[in-house]
Amino acid sequence: MRRTLLALSAAICVAPGANAQAIPSFVEETEASGIDSVFEGEWEYMVGGGVAVFDCSGDGFPDMLLAGGSAPAKFYRNVSEAGGDLRFEAAESGAELDKVAGAYPLDIDGDGITDLVLLRVGENVVLRGLGECRFERANEDWAFEGGDAWSTAFAATWETGADFPTLAIGNYVDRNEQMFPWGSCTDNWLHRPQAGERRFAAPLPLTPSHCALSMLFTDWNRSGTPSLRVSNDREYYKGGQEQLWHVRPGEAPALYTAEEGWQRLRIWGMGIASYDLGFDGYPDYFLTSMADNKLQRLMPFEAGKMLPRYDDIAFAKGVTAHRPYVGGEIQPSTAWHAQFEDVNNDGLVDLFVAKGNVWEMPDFARRDPNNLLIQKPDGTFFEAGDKAGVASMLTGRGAALADFNLDGLVDLVVVNRHDKAQIWRNASADAGRWVQVKVEQDGPNRDAVGAWIEVRRGDVIMRREATSGGGHVSGQTGWWHFGLGDLDAAEIRVIWPDGVEGEWARVAADGFYVLARNSEPVAWTPSDR
Amino acid sequence: MLTVHDMPNEARVNRIRLFLAALIMLAFSATGALAQERPGADQVLHNWSRMVLELVRHTPTYSPPVASRAFAYLGVTAYEAAAGAGTLVSLAGQLNGLSPAPEREAGAAYDEAVVMQAAMAFGVRNFFGNTGPTGQRAMKAMEARLAEMTAAGLAQDVIARSVAYGEAVGAHVLAWSMEDGGAVVENMGFPFDHALNDKPGAWAPTSLVVQQQAPLLPKWGENRSFAMPTGASCPLPPPPAYSEEAGSEFHAEALAVYETSKALTPEQTAIARFWSDDPMLSPTPPGHWIFIAMDILQAKNADVAERADLLARLGVALADSFIGCWHAKYEYDLIRPVTYIRRVIDPNWQPILITPPFPEYPSGHSTQSGAAAAVLTAHFGAEFAFDDATHEDEGLGVRAYPDFWTAAEEAAMSRLYGGIHFRAAIERGLEQGRCIGAFATALKTVE
Repeated sequence: MRRTLLALSAAICVAPGANAQAIPSFVEETEASGIDSVFEGEWEYMVGGGVAVFDCSGDGFPDMLLAGGSAPAKFYRNVSEAGGDLRFEAAESGAELDKVAGAYPLDIDGDGITDLVLLRVGENVVLRGLGECRFERANEDWAFEGGDAWSTAFAATWETGADFPTLAIGNYVDRNEQMFPWGSCTDNWLHRPQAGERRFAAPLPLTPSHCALSMLFTDWNRSGTPSLRVSNDREYYKGGQEQLWHVRPGEAPALYTAEEGWQRLRIWGMGIASYDLGFDGYPDYFLTSMADNKLQRLMPFEAGKMLPRYDDIAFAKGVTAHRPYVGGEIQPSTAWHAQFEDVNNDGLVDLFVAKGNVWEMPDFARRDPNNLLIQKPDGTFFEAGDKAGVASMLTGRGAALADFNLDGLVDLVVVNRHDKAQIWRNASADAGRWVQVKVEQDGPNRDAVGAWIEVRRGDVIMRREATSGGGHVSGQTGWWHFGLGDLDAAEIRVIWPDGVEGEWARVAADGFYVLARNSEPVAWTPSDR
Repeated sequence: MLTVHDMPNEARVNRIRLFLAALIMLAFSATGALAQERPGADQVLHNWSRMVLELVRHTPTYSPPVASRAFAYLGVTAYEAAAGAGTLVSLAGQLNGLSPAPEREAGAAYDEAVVMQAAMAFGVRNFFGNTGPTGQRAMKAMEARLAEMTAAGLAQDVIARSVAYGEAVGAHVLAWSMEDGGAVVENMGFPFDHALNDKPGAWAPTSLVVQQQAPLLPKWGENRSFAMPTGASCPLPPPPAYSEEAGSEFHAEALAVYETSKALTPEQTAIARFWSDDPMLSPTPPGHWIFIAMDILQAKNADVAERADLLARLGVALADSFIGCWHAKYEYDLIRPVTYIRRVIDPNWQPILITPPFPEYPSGHSTQSGAAAAVLTAHFGAEFAFDDATHEDEGLGVRAYPDFWTAAEEAAMSRLYGGIHFRAAIERGLEQGRCIGAFATALKTVE
């Protein structure tokens, strides 16, 4: 399969779409939306500031939980009309804990109801979803040891044969060390299931740990077994670097080594976004940092061997996003959450990057606009954040791109430090067509984390890995979005986490589909409120 | 003279731990776990110097030239604060543009630890005012703790007088620093507009980082120097004439780098990594030599006069090295090995070190290591053996050297092993450093 995928990529250099380069139009609706949440706190909250996006009401509309830092997290139920303005109502959910730095949704116990993982400055907490957007603490029931650290990264996977997920939690520096904190990175933790039980074993330390700010389980080589990618903040580690871990069922986690081809990279790693930009079947990785950001593409095979070696193609593709492009400041930027989504539905995935100064760092831009980098048919990107209306100068951190009003256009929410979270409705008038899918399977991994969703558009196959993790302390479940350009239909299939390839099925454009295992796609339509 | 190699093994191991011992004391004292012990001026200086090594690493503008400048000014701050007690000769009139520091009140009592604490706190706070939130937090914590500890048991008038004097010395040195040409560093030292030279063999960007498409600090060689007259005071002969012809001297030098890289021994690889001293991932090359000096001073329990003398002299030599080296770098504007080798020898060649974003000739690490060796040899002697534990906390181990010049030569050669310098830049860099270091060793500190 690997050779086939690469051969395909060699034949396909360009994947034009009818609406290529259309600049999207976003309308900020923060004030009217009902969202009123600030990520508060001082030094211990200079990183973090996440948002979890998920549907807990069962109406298909994404709800959200916003981290509050030193203030309580806030839950908002989505009450938008399909295609209408973005509207949310604050509600008591049971997730309103303080000291929350980030949050990820995940159906941990496989009951079909989304649960939540709260990353905190202090004890991490898992919350069991009860339905109707209510949650309750489940640390004790699931034997989840929350520890006492400054937790700043998360990723989840289901290891082969497991009835419970494996959670990786990344930790930052020792917050109790005031004078010489550098080099005091707390161990990251791997919470694996207790053998044969639907609860967690005591967490394993992922030593060495280097102050992770993003983690992602990803099948980088399409081996069928995801590895754990960790992006680390070089500000605090000593002797550290970016990491890739083998996490093989039944074996102790082990770092990929230089002998295995892993190349040392040391950045202010803050966020990971992944997507198969090259249509070669393998994910590319965008790594946020300070000043220049990185876009990594797997190098060609060496002597028939696939090695975890990557070229940095950020410069060539125009996504270094190293300095503000509007606002007049010329100092370098600081990047946090990153996410690939097709915001203009032209079939070419675009890149959003949340920006914001760490905390009064005068050598970096104080007014640091978010980036919205639009992909062109030749695979390069151009900046459109200002023209699209999302070039906020607030201090961005976590974010999520999701279709909040289910109109086929991806909207945006950004968490800001010491300022209100902002939400924008994508109101693009000239966007292309689209399809959104939800994947489901029986068994413990209900949302099919680790699956690959493929959509054939003309001569190319768009692929995205159904991951849980990455970004900057922000995650989401629910609809997976694909732009289709001017196509009125597309072929779609799922490669399930166990490697079983689903059948290709043809679906009409501009619709939602539930892709259940061993079933034909089922069209889904938002109901009237 | 007793060297670390004369010590019994146990003592040598303990010496390596001594570097951090004072810090551990502070940390424990802050929790009340240990009884407080009032630190002397020597330990105040040591602790602030240790903090400076961390701040250099964690402040993004602190590339090696900028770091060397801070080491010099903070060394002079400590020195002038100590000199006020009357046991050392002021460097005013010896360093370019430095006027006499404020005088102490005749007959009034001062506490030297409080003076040093106030002077260093002022200096570090100002030279690292642009560090990040964690550095700010750390500086405040250290300042508060040391201020409390040094003031313990003293009369209020002595404290107030000593603090005022220390801060006055700090302000005096800071004011002196503002006009040297290096006080303002924008965009982490990379100019927004810089015309590249298009002559054959000229430096070309080696990085895919956008910021580094212009070279680092091209005007740094024009800065006011410290002990040497100007940045041009230790000139170099030109590098071998640029040529892409096989058999030419230039091609031969490049081929030597290439072939060395293809047959690196584990020891050569370890040397390249040990002296890599990357900015923002280490205390930088000048910080490496400061660490060595501090480590030895701490091991021998040096008094404050010796510490201030050596840290000032070494800081000055290192700062002058970067001014002199940068002056030559932009005079010759030479291509880096990675550019030449990929153009002429092997388009896929990859050196093991990341090539720094500025011209090749001479090697900055070589120049500053030569200057450091000159100063340290003058201070400790020609056959002073020592262990270098700079990167012990990075997991790079401890390396032992029989003398400072052996270490400097290894540091210089590390750049060839790393694939970032030709031999001429290394050998002539060391010689330039020897020349520059002589100005610092000539400073008069005792009558």
